[in-house]
Amino acid sequence: MKTFRARRWLLALISLMLALGLVLAWQLARIALLPVAVYSGWLLLGLVLVLTFFNARKKLPFLPLLSASAWMQAHIYLGWLGCFVFVLHTGVRLPDGRLELVLSAVFALVAASGALGLWLSRWLPPRLVRSGESLVYERIAGLRQQLAEEVRELVRRGEIETQSSTLADLYLRVLHAYFLRVPPLLAPLTGDDREFHRVRQELELARRYLNPAELSLAGELADLIEAKRNLDLQLAGQRLLKLWLFVHIPLTYGMLVLTAAHVWLALHYSHRL
Amino acid sequence: MAKSSTRPAIQPGSHAPYTQATRQAGPERWDKPFSPDMKEMDVDLVMAHPIFYNTAPEKFPAAIPLRGILRNDTKLHQYLSGEIIVRRGDYGHSAFIIMDGAVKVLAKEPPAELLGRQPPVRPSVWGSFKRWLSRPQYAETATRRGAPPGLHVGRSGETRIFLQDVPGVLDSDRSIILREGELFGEIAALGRTPRTATVVAEGEVLLLEIRWQGLREIRKYSPAWKERIDGRYRERSLKRHLAETPLMWNLSDTSLQLIADATRFETFGEFDWHSSYQRMREASARELMEKEPLIAREGDYPNGLLLVRSGFARVSCRYNHGERTESYLGKGQVFGLHEIVTGWRGEHVALRHSLRALGYVDLLFIPTAVIEQHVLPALSPDQLATLTLAAESPGGAGGADELVEFMVAQRFINGRATMLIDLDRCTRCDDCVRACAATHDNNPRFIRQGPEASGVMVASACMHCVDPVCMIGCPTGAIYRENIEGLVGIDADTCIGCSICANSCPYGTIQMVALHDEDGLPVVTEETGAPIRRATKCDLCIDQPGGPACVNACPHDALVRADMRAGDKLTDWLKR
Repeated sequence: MKTFRARRWLLALISLMLALGLVLAWQLARIALLPVAVYSGWLLLGLVLVLTFFNARKKLPFLPLLSASAWMQAHIYLGWLGCFVFVLHTGVRLPDGRLELVLSAVFALVAASGALGLWLSRWLPPRLVRSGESLVYERIAGLRQQLAEEVRELVRRGEIETQSSTLADLYLRVLHAYFLRVPPLLAPLTGDDREFHRVRQELELARRYLNPAELSLAGELADLIEAKRNLDLQLAGQRLLKLWLFVHIPLTYGMLVLTAAHVWLALHYSHRL
Repeated sequence: MAKSSTRPAIQPGSHAPYTQATRQAGPERWDKPFSPDMKEMDVDLVMAHPIFYNTAPEKFPAAIPLRGILRNDTKLHQYLSGEIIVRRGDYGHSAFIIMDGAVKVLAKEPPAELLGRQPPVRPSVWGSFKRWLSRPQYAETATRRGAPPGLHVGRSGETRIFLQDVPGVLDSDRSIILREGELFGEIAALGRTPRTATVVAEGEVLLLEIRWQGLREIRKYSPAWKERIDGRYRERSLKRHLAETPLMWNLSDTSLQLIADATRFETFGEFDWHSSYQRMREASARELMEKEPLIAREGDYPNGLLLVRSGFARVSCRYNHGERTESYLGKGQVFGLHEIVTGWRGEHVALRHSLRALGYVDLLFIPTAVIEQHVLPALSPDQLATLTLAAESPGGAGGADELVEFMVAQRFINGRATMLIDLDRCTRCDDCVRACAATHDNNPRFIRQGPEASGVMVASACMHCVDPVCMIGCPTGAIYRENIEGLVGIDADTCIGCSICANSCPYGTIQMVALHDEDGLPVVTEETGAPIRRATKCDLCIDQPGGPACVNACPHDALVRADMRAGDKLTDWLKR
C-alpha cells in the first residue's frame, strides 16, 4: 500500500505537468490566433462540473463510480487545476462587468472555502483524537446536560455530607456557567481553553479550604472539568468540520447559476449563440 | 409459511399507533420447517431406522420431542451417483445421516472447476439502482422482508452439482467410503467451521439432512448420540488438522498415525465465552489477563508443541511487574516450536513466552519427543527456518504494542472484517453511515462509535468473526455463514426476532429492529400486541457491485474492513 506522502507527491506532480501543458497549449493557441478565452472558459466549466459531481456521487453510494476517496483526491487536485485555469481565463486582472466581478468573487470564495476545508480536514482530526474520547456530534448537547446535572448533584451531596459551602460557592461562581457553556464558533482555531484553565485554577485555589472528604469530591470535580473540556473540543471541532461545507456547497451552486448567466452572455455577445 | 395479517383503518391524526397496528401471529420456532416436504410418514420411516433404535424419545422434553425435531429440523434427500453432497471449504449448518447407500469422502481435493465452484453472483448496477429507487420510506418495513438477494447465493444443498471426471478423481486418491447408518458433516455443523472434506454420492444414496439446531438437541438429550458425535468429531478433526499443518506436510501416513496416537486434546476456557466476556469487558487489562486460563508458563520446560485447533490464545512475556502481550495465536498456529527446535539442536532453552486462553481455545498437544523423532528430521533446514520464523511472528499489528494489547484484550482479533476507523483522518462527516443507510433500506447497519486505542476506533459493526458465537443458539438457523468467504448473514424470512444472536454477540453489533408497515405503523403480534422485531447487522454489502458501501463512501481513507489475521496488511494500513 502506498503512503499518503507518496500519493501526494505523485498527484501534485501530475497536476503540475498538466498545468505546464495547459500553459504551453495556451501560448500555442494565442500564436495561432485562436479564441483562447472561449476554450479556457469551456475547460473551466467542465472542471467545475466534474468537481460539483463529487457531491452527487456521495448521494449515489450504490453505483460503482470509484471510491469516494478517489473522488476526493480528484476533487482536490482538479480544484487546484481549476484555480490555475481560472487565472488563465481571467488573465490575472479584475473583470470589467458586474456579473463577472461577482462571479470571480464567488469563485474565489468557493476555492478559498475548499482550501480551508481541506486544511481543517487534515488539521483538526488529530487534535480531536488527542483531546480525549470521540463523541457522536448529535449526542454532545445531551452529554453536556448530563455532565452539568452530575456536577450539581456532586456539589449538593458534598454540601450535605460535609456541611461546608466551599464547593457550593465555587459552583455558583464558576462551575455552573462553565458546565453550561457552549464554546465559540472558532474555538478550535483560536485555541480557546482559557475557561478550562481558569476553572481548574479556581478549583486548585479552593483546595486549601477543603477537608479530606471534600478533597475527594474535588478530585471527582477535576475529572468532570476535564471531561467538559473534551466535550467542548469535540463539539467545536466537529462543528467546524461540518460548518465549512455550509459555505462551500451553497456558494458552489450560486457559482453555477452565475456561470450559466456568464456563459449565455459571453456567447450571445460574441455572436456564437 | 405465510401468515395472514389484519389491519384496522387508520384514523387521521391519531397518535396511538399500537391501537392501529397490523396484527399477525407471533413467530415461533418451527414456524418455518427445514423442509415442507417432510411428512409424518417420513418421520415414521426415519424413526424405524436402526440408527435411531437407542435414541430413547422419552428422554426428550415435551416442548422439543424427537418427532418434532425430525419433522421440522430434517429433510430427506435422494442423491445420484457422483453428485456432490458437500464441498470442502463451504460453510454448512447441517449434518447428514446415511439412511441407505454409501458416500465417498474425498481425501484429495479435486480442482475447483470440477467441484462446480462459481464466483459469487452479485446483482447488477441496474438492480442496485432499482432497489435504491424503491427503498421504503420507513426503515425495516414488514412488506420488504428478506435479506439482500446475494446472501442466498450458493447456500449448501440448494444447488446440486455433479462431480466431473468421477473416475479420474475418485480412483486416484485415498477416499473413504461411509455406509448406511454413518453420520458426516457434524464437524462443520456443530463447530461453526467450514466443511473439512468434499463428499460425493457413491451410487444412489438416501440421506437425512439435519440442521444443526436439531443435531444439537439430539446430542443434548440422547447420551448415545452425544458419545457418537463427540467421538467422531475428535477423531476426524484430529486427522484432518494434522495433515493440514505445514509442519507435517512432508510426513508419511505412518508417521502421521504415530503422531496422532501420541497427540492429546486439550481445551481451555468456556465454549460460550461470550457471556463471561461481556461481564468482564470493563475490567482492567491486568484483571482480564489474570482471569485467562494459563496454558503454558514462561520459563517452563517445553515438553510439547501446542497446535491451535480453534479459538484464540494470547502470547505474552513478563515485563518488570506485569505481563506484556506479544502477539496472539489463532487456528493452525503453533506455540513452542522455537524452543523445541533449539533443544533438538542441542541447546536446551525454557519457554520464552506464556500462553493463555482467550475465551475458548481447543489445542492439540504433541510431546516434544514425538516432534523430535518424526517431524523435525523430515524438514529441510530452509523449511525449518521458515516455519520457525512464522511461528515467531504469528499475528497482530507489528510495531503498535498498545494496539495489539487493546485488540487482544477486547477480543477484536476474532474479526475477519473488523471496521477500523483511523481517527487521525476521520472528519466525522458520517458519509459512511449515510451510505450504509442508503444501501440498506434507510437503516444503517452499524454505529460509528466504539472503543479506541492508538488513534484507531473499532466501530460497532459486525466483524464476520472467525468464531461467530452469535450463531450459537439461533432456534431457526436464520443466522448463517455464507459459503466460501464465510460472511455471516441473517435470513430475514426465517428470523423470528428472539434476540438470541443479538444477546450472544460479544461486541453488540446485532441490532433488533421493530418492523413497520408501509405507512410507518409498527407491526405487532396478534396474540400479545408486542412489536415484531428482527435482527439486523452488517452484511458487508454483499449485494452491492462495488463492495462495502461504508469503505467506498469514506472520502478520507479513514475506514477499512480489516481481517485481523492479516497482521502485515493491518500494519501497512496503520503506517500509511
